[in-house]
Amino acid sequence: MRLEKCWFCSSTVYPGHGIQYVRNDAKIFRFCRSKCHKNFKMKRNPRKVKWTKAYRRLHGKDMTQDATFEFERKRNRPERYNRTTVENVLKAIPKILKVKADRAADHIGGRLKGSKQKKRKEDKRELEQSLHMVKAPGAFNEDPSFTLPVDTKLKVKVNQKQAVAMETE
Amino acid sequence: MAGFLASKCSHVGRSLLGGLGNKLSATVSTQYEMANNSFLSQIRSFIQMRTVLKVVDNSGAKKVMCIQALKGKKGARLGDTIVASVKEAYPNGKVKKGKVVYGVVVRAAMQKGRCDGSEVKFDDNAVVLVDKQGQPIGTRVFGPVPHELRRKKHVKILSLAGHIA
Repeated sequence: MRLEKCWFCSSTVYPGHGIQYVRNDAKIFRFCRSKCHKNFKMKRNPRKVKWTKAYRRLHGKDMTQDATFEFERKRNRPERYNRTTVENVLKAIPKILKVKADRAADHIGGRLKGSKQKKRKEDKRELEQSLHMVKAPGAFNEDPSFTLPVDTKLKVKVNQKQAVAMETE
Repeated sequence: MAGFLASKCSHVGRSLLGGLGNKLSATVSTQYEMANNSFLSQIRSFIQMRTVLKVVDNSGAKKVMCIQALKGKKGARLGDTIVASVKEAYPNGKVKKGKVVYGVVVRAAMQKGRCDGSEVKFDDNAVVLVDKQGQPIGTRVFGPVPHELRRKKHVKILSLAGHIA
């Protein structure tokens, strides 16, 4: 029994799940679900589809190099059964998973941290450079030209000829 | 009728593949994939009467037409045995055009459930010719074959095949 990786999204394909397509040159394409299979049939490139692992790795959104990936590597030689090895591996699995999750979180955290500083910097600069666009709220009260007059009605002179012309139209 | 059309189209797909397949590796090849996938996106069906299949051994036949599926009401699937008539053959082969032969379906474009619940499908519909006892007529098998043939007691075909999927 082997846990394969989906050709499209690189998620784990557990036994009994998904579909595999065997091309005539004997290359096997495994898909974890019909979503990935359909995307393959639509000739989509997994590197250009945002939700795949390939895209995320390519665009620096996920870790690409880590020692924890070594444990998941495909090995073509079966391991000889050894009770103590099994025991140790079973003990190590939760630890490894935890380390991996922490490192992934660190990676994402580091990425977000940089962007926050950058955004703050940009905001600061904008504020400095285009201060003239901002008018203090008090200015509206002082200067009547910013607001509509409330109590006084506007008087507009109407030319007699114009008014007649408008009515006839 | 639909089956016949589908099998016709499959030949188109195959010839495109054959033309491109040798030069391109599996990693690049967007063209390859395109030819492949337009063929894949059709609705696949059972191997039934009048389905034309490719012969992937050196028995001398090139193409056979299914005239009877020996199992299943709707038709044959991956690993089933069919009765077929030889439509195209190489000169000086063991099998001549017009003969009625038995064959095992070693590749089917229609997906088939596996024992663990997943599914498998292939590029084309292909057959290996056997005699009535189930022994292959040719001495070589080309292309990938499914491991389900072992359960169908066609171990000889499996041992002749280069790739087992």
